Amino acid sequence: MTMTISLPRVMHAASGRPLSLREHEATFGTTTVGAALLRELDASGLLGRGGASFTTAKKVELLRSQRGHHKVVVVNAMEGEPVGHKDRTLLSSNPHLVLDGAQYLATLIGARRIDVCVSRKDSAIVHHVQRSLHERELRKSGPTFVLHTPPWRYVAGEESALVHWLNDNETMPQYRPSRPHVLHVGRSPALVVNAETSAHAGMIGRFGADWFRELGTPLSPGSTLVSITGAVFRPTVHEVALGTTLRSILADAGADPDPQAILLGGYGGAWLSAEHQDVAYCNEALGPYGASVGAGIIVVVPKAACGIAETQRIVAWMANESSRQCGPCAFGLPALAQDLRTVLRGSRDPRTVLERLKQRCAVIDGRGACRHPDGVVRLVQSALEVFKDDVESHVNGTPCEGVTSSRHWVAVPALERESELVWE
Amino acid sequence: MIALTSPYLWYTTRATGLVALVLFTVVVCLGTFVSNRVGGTSVGRFELNELHRSVSMVAVAFLVVHIVTTVVDSYVPTGWLSTVVPMTSSYKRLDVAIGAVAFDLILAVWASSLMKTRMANTSWRFIHWFSWLAFVAAIVHGFLTGTDGRSGIGLAVIVSCASAVLVTALWRFFKRPARALGRTALSPLAPQDATKTDATKTDATTATPTTTTTKTTRPFPSGSHQRDRTRR
Amino acid sequence: MSRRIDHFVLKVDPILCDGFGHCHELAPELVHVDEWGYPIINEQPTSSSDLALLKSAKLAVRGCPRSALRIERISGPT
Repeated sequence: MTMTISLPRVMHAASGRPLSLREHEATFGTTTVGAALLRELDASGLLGRGGASFTTAKKVELLRSQRGHHKVVVVNAMEGEPVGHKDRTLLSSNPHLVLDGAQYLATLIGARRIDVCVSRKDSAIVHHVQRSLHERELRKSGPTFVLHTPPWRYVAGEESALVHWLNDNETMPQYRPSRPHVLHVGRSPALVVNAETSAHAGMIGRFGADWFRELGTPLSPGSTLVSITGAVFRPTVHEVALGTTLRSILADAGADPDPQAILLGGYGGAWLSAEHQDVAYCNEALGPYGASVGAGIIVVVPKAACGIAETQRIVAWMANESSRQCGPCAFGLPALAQDLRTVLRGSRDPRTVLERLKQRCAVIDGRGACRHPDGVVRLVQSALEVFKDDVESHVNGTPCEGVTSSRHWVAVPALERESELVWE
Repeated sequence: MIALTSPYLWYTTRATGLVALVLFTVVVCLGTFVSNRVGGTSVGRFELNELHRSVSMVAVAFLVVHIVTTVVDSYVPTGWLSTVVPMTSSYKRLDVAIGAVAFDLILAVWASSLMKTRMANTSWRFIHWFSWLAFVAAIVHGFLTGTDGRSGIGLAVIVSCASAVLVTALWRFFKRPARALGRTALSPLAPQDATKTDATKTDATTATPTTTTTKTTRPFPSGSHQRDRTRR
Repeated sequence: MSRRIDHFVLKVDPILCDGFGHCHELAPELVHVDEWGYPIINEQPTSSSDLALLKSAKLAVRGCPRSALRIERISGPT
C-alpha cells in the first residue's frame, strides 16, 4: 500500500470517531518493513514528540542493550500540558496507529508488555483506547497491552513521574543522577514513548524512512501535530510538516494576522515575538530564539493582551503543580509568581523587583530533580525579553490596558486552592 | 556461674543507669535541635549533629556498663537473655522487661545509625523514630525498677529528664519546619524584612484573596500526587 | 592522552535534600545556600589533590542528615 507523502499522515482518514481495527488496516495497509525496522527507524531520525525531542532510535538502542528479560514499552498519552490536546485527538481518531507503533517498538526491544497510560479525566478517550485494545485482544497475537489511567497532573506526563506512578502510585518525578538513565517498571527496563511518537513509528514501520523524510527538514524530519489555541479562529490540532514557517501554520489556523507574541512549546516553553513569525517551525530554527517545538503547543496572544499577566497566571499555576520534592522548585516557583505579580501591580522599588526576579531565575534554574522549574524559568526569562517594553511601563507604575482585561488568551486551569501555594 | 556480688557492682548499676538516662535526655534534645534546624549563626548546625552523635556513643557506653554490671551481679538473678528478651527475668520481671524493650530499641537505632551509609535514608528515619519510644521505656524502667527512682535524687533526676524531653517533644512538634522550611541565617540571600514589607504594602492596596502574609502553610498539600488508592 | 579521573565534584539529590544546610557549613567553598536554605553546589570540578577541599567534601557527605550528597570522581573540567 503506498501512502502519499503529503499531509495528513498520522491524522490521515481522521473523522469524528476512532477508526476500528479493520478500517485502520484498510486505510494504512498491513505490510510492514519487517526485519529492516531498526534500520528504518534509525534512518528516519524520528525525534520524540513529547517535548524533549530525543532521538527515538537512540532510546531504542539503549533499551536493546539492557539485560533485563521482561522489558516493557510505556505509551505516554498523559498530555500534562493543559493547552495541548494532540495526543487526545490522535487517540480519538487513529488509536490503532499509536498501538501499532508501540507494537513495532516492543518487537525492537523485545518487550512483551505495553503499558498504555491515558489520564483518567478524559473518560471518552479512555473508552476509545479500551475499545481499541479489546479489538486487538481478539486477534490474540503480539505483546500484551495493559491500559492504565493515572490521575492527571502537569508532571504526570513526565516520564519518570509516570513510571513512578506505575511502580508506587504517586506521580512524583524521580531523580536521575546520570543520563542516559533507564527507567524501570518493577524490574523491567521501560521504553517510555509519547503517543504521537509511537504513531509516527507506526507509519515508519509501514512506509519506511525515506517516505518519512520526504517532509520536514534534514535535522527535524517528518510531520508533527500542533495544538494551536489563543487568538485563532480554528483552535484545534493541525498536522504540519516540520520546517514550515510559523506564519503559514498560524494562517492555516486562522490566527490573528498581527499578534503580539506566540507561546511555543508549552507552559515550560518560551515566548516568541510576533516579528519573528517567519521562522521555520523546527528546533534548529527556533533554537536561536530560545524556543523549541516542545510538545507542539502554539498559543497566539494578540496585542490587546498583557504578556506579563498571562505569564504570571501560568507561573502561578505551574508553581502549584510542582510536586514539591525539591526546595528550589517548591519555594522558588511561588516566589517567581509573587514577583511577577509585584511587577504587574507596580512597586515602590521597581529595580529591586526586576533584579530579584532575574536573580531568582538564575538561582532556580537546573536545581530540581526534573525539568519543571527549568521550564518555568525559561518562560519567565523569555517573557522579560519579549515583553520588555511592557515590563518597563508596568514597573514604572503605568500598566498596560491588558492587565485589567478579564479576557485571557492562554488557557490556564483554575488554581485548585490558592492557599496551597507556599508564599513567602 | 560464679557467684559474684559486691555492693560496688550494685552501686555501679544504679549510677550508670541514672547517668545513661541523663545522657540519653541530652541526646534526644540534641536530636530535636537538629530536626528543627536550630543553629546556623552562633553554633553550627553540623556541630549539633556531631554532638548528638558523640553523646549518643557515650550514652550507649554507660548503658552497656549498666547492663553488664546488672547481669554479672548475682545478687539480682537476671540472666543475659533477659537484657534483650522481655519477660524472661526472674527478678522484677516487668521492670526488667521494659528495660529490655528500651535496650532493644536503642540497639536498633544505634546499629542503624552505624550503618547509615549502607541503608536507604527513609528506612533509617523510620527506625530512628523509635528512639522516642525507647526513651519513654527507659523512664518507666528507671522509675519502676530501682529503689532510687522512688525518692530523693533519683526521683528528681527521672522527673527532670522526663519533663525536659516532654517539653522538647512539644517544641519539636509545634515548631517543626513546614515542609523543609530550611531557612538558614548563613545565607547571604536570606530575605531581609524589605521583601516581606514590599509584598504586604503592594498587596494591601489591592484586594487579594491569597494568604500572602501567612508564613505557615499546610505541611503538604493533599493533591493527587499523594497515594492513589483508586488505581486500576 | 587519556584523561585521568583526578577531579571531583559534589552532587546532591534534590529530592532527598531538605535544606538542613550542614553541607554549607562543612564545605563553604563548595556549597552556597540560596534564600530558602537549599544548596547551590559549585559545578566546577575540583582537583582531588586539593586535600583540604576533598576533606571538606567528605565531611559534608557524612554530615548530611538526609544522606543526599555524593562525591563524584570525574576527569577534570571539560
